[in-house]
Amino acid sequence: MNTVIDAHNISKVYNPETIPVYAVNNVHLHLERGEFTALVGPSGSGKTTLLNMIGGLDKPDGGNIFINGNDITKLSANELIDFRLKNIGFVFQSFNLIPVLTAKENVEFIMQLQKIKQSERDERIKQLFQQIGLEDKLNERPSKLSGGQQQRVAVARALASKPQFVLADEPTANLDTKSASNLLDIMAKLNKEENITFLFSTHDQRVIDRARRVITLVDGRIVKDTAVVSTEHKEAATIR
Amino acid sequence: MIFIMAWRNIWRNKMRSIVIILSIAIGLFAGIAVLALYKGMMKSRVRTVIDAEVGHLQIHDTSFKKDYEPQFVISNGADLLKNISSMPEVKLAAPRSITNGMLATATGSSGVQINGVIPALEYEASQLKKKIIEGNEFYPAKKNEVIVGKKLAGKMKLKVGSKLVLTFTDTSGNIVSGAFRVAAVYQSDNAPLDERNVYVTMNDMNALLGISNAFHELVVLLKNDEDVKTVQQTLRKKFPAYQIETWREISPETDLLVKTVDQYSYIIMVIIMLALAFGIINTMLMAILERTREIGMMMALGTNKIRIFSLVLMETIFLTLAGTPVGILIGWLAANYYNRRGLNLSGMGREMMSSFGFNPLIYPEFPADKLMGVLLIVVITAIVSCLFPAMKALKLQPVEALRL
Repeated sequence: MNTVIDAHNISKVYNPETIPVYAVNNVHLHLERGEFTALVGPSGSGKTTLLNMIGGLDKPDGGNIFINGNDITKLSANELIDFRLKNIGFVFQSFNLIPVLTAKENVEFIMQLQKIKQSERDERIKQLFQQIGLEDKLNERPSKLSGGQQQRVAVARALASKPQFVLADEPTANLDTKSASNLLDIMAKLNKEENITFLFSTHDQRVIDRARRVITLVDGRIVKDTAVVSTEHKEAATIR
Repeated sequence: MIFIMAWRNIWRNKMRSIVIILSIAIGLFAGIAVLALYKGMMKSRVRTVIDAEVGHLQIHDTSFKKDYEPQFVISNGADLLKNISSMPEVKLAAPRSITNGMLATATGSSGVQINGVIPALEYEASQLKKKIIEGNEFYPAKKNEVIVGKKLAGKMKLKVGSKLVLTFTDTSGNIVSGAFRVAAVYQSDNAPLDERNVYVTMNDMNALLGISNAFHELVVLLKNDEDVKTVQQTLRKKFPAYQIETWREISPETDLLVKTVDQYSYIIMVIIMLALAFGIINTMLMAILERTREIGMMMALGTNKIRIFSLVLMETIFLTLAGTPVGILIGWLAANYYNRRGLNLSGMGREMMSSFGFNPLIYPEFPADKLMGVLLIVVITAIVSCLFPAMKALKLQPVEALRL
């Protein structure tokens, strides 16, 4: 195992000069390669803020975040864009595919940004669409795909750049049970077979049930960090 | 991919894009119409100057144009005329005797320039015969006939057959007068010129001036407009003793007018495009605003600012250029249609047009020579219009944009 995410004492505070509100308060988080982790907690607990900071979308007001040993809190906005492109895959709640591009183009776009050769892109697209089971939807625009299919394409897009880890913010929130289950199967399979690290923020019990580690946030603090050996045999590991 | 995205993005809101594309097409058509009209007007004005007023070149004694003193005739004029007429580039060379004098009638008098002409040559050199609106050309058997401009005729209450007296000084400085009868009234496209110039035969004029067969001015018409400079240089080398000027030098106001109107037409084009730029900016701002989340997502995924800027720039250029061929095509069709039929602007006032030396019947000409300039203005408009929306897009913070 090797460390992918190592966050120390990270905090995010809103209105620091008037009435300070800690969205994330002095959080430590350590993720190893190949983890399948759910970040849970009630609305406003700081899940998305924490995810955004780990993803380099938002800067913490205190603390450091090391991704593969690189402190991303020290990077400029432009360096962060490049860092995200090369290291992080994102899956958003509302799919966020580019509507004017086909499913294939949405995935290919990221690889183009990475300046990957056409032949290599074609091969990777073929492989990814096989993995998400949408080989027949390559040339469909997002508007022609169901929510579940769109989210599967979003997963393929997140994996297109072969990231260090995938951050998924409420990935199943807009999906029906069958689509959500299907999506989770795909992600679990990718995690198992390709050792891809996933960190979810979620309310969804279906995701929590599939996670091998569950971190609970309340009021910006981690109140529980549970490693799950299997769904049948749960074991409390750490409570911070 | 950015290219494909930009093109597809402009069709996301078809109606909005079509409206802006059409407005660009119409604006461009309006600009091209103005350019075509100006080009037609300027071409007509230049043609009038060359074909009906001063010719391509004029030759004078070097001292003549200082005070129009009649003694400064062109020395060896006959030889010069023969020599120039035989040049292959020359279509026609017409001599004129010129003096300034006074035209007097029973009711009043007016200062005029009296042109002594050889009728057959003058009819071709300045199309005097075609300009006659009343009366007849010079009758060879008759002496002391004069052709006066319409404006002067009106001012002096002259009619065909009216008698008048022309008074001027001869080469010795003596005042001489001659009684003339109006043979015809002419009207050109240049009212101020009509008011000032009267035409008599060179024989009658020279007899009064006492210069026998000499003349003061040699008007040269060439077969091709493009030969003006080279012929002038050749003549200057061959006849260094004479003052040899092109129409641009003789009529600098026309040259200036053509150049000024050229600049004006670009200014009009810029004004039209500037007005359109606000429409484009508005459309692009709406497009950016609607896609805040999408752009934020693109940034989150690793699309750098250069690519975001390129996307907005390309969308704006596509939006702008999409209307361009349509505008140019309509402009071309309209210019060609009116180029064949002519566009009669006499409704704007024939008098007014003529007071500026313009024929009210204009033949607009598609400004092909300015097309590159127009396209450049369009592209610059697109680039300038994209800056504000692009800055808006670049200022987006992915985390905030995604929250929307």
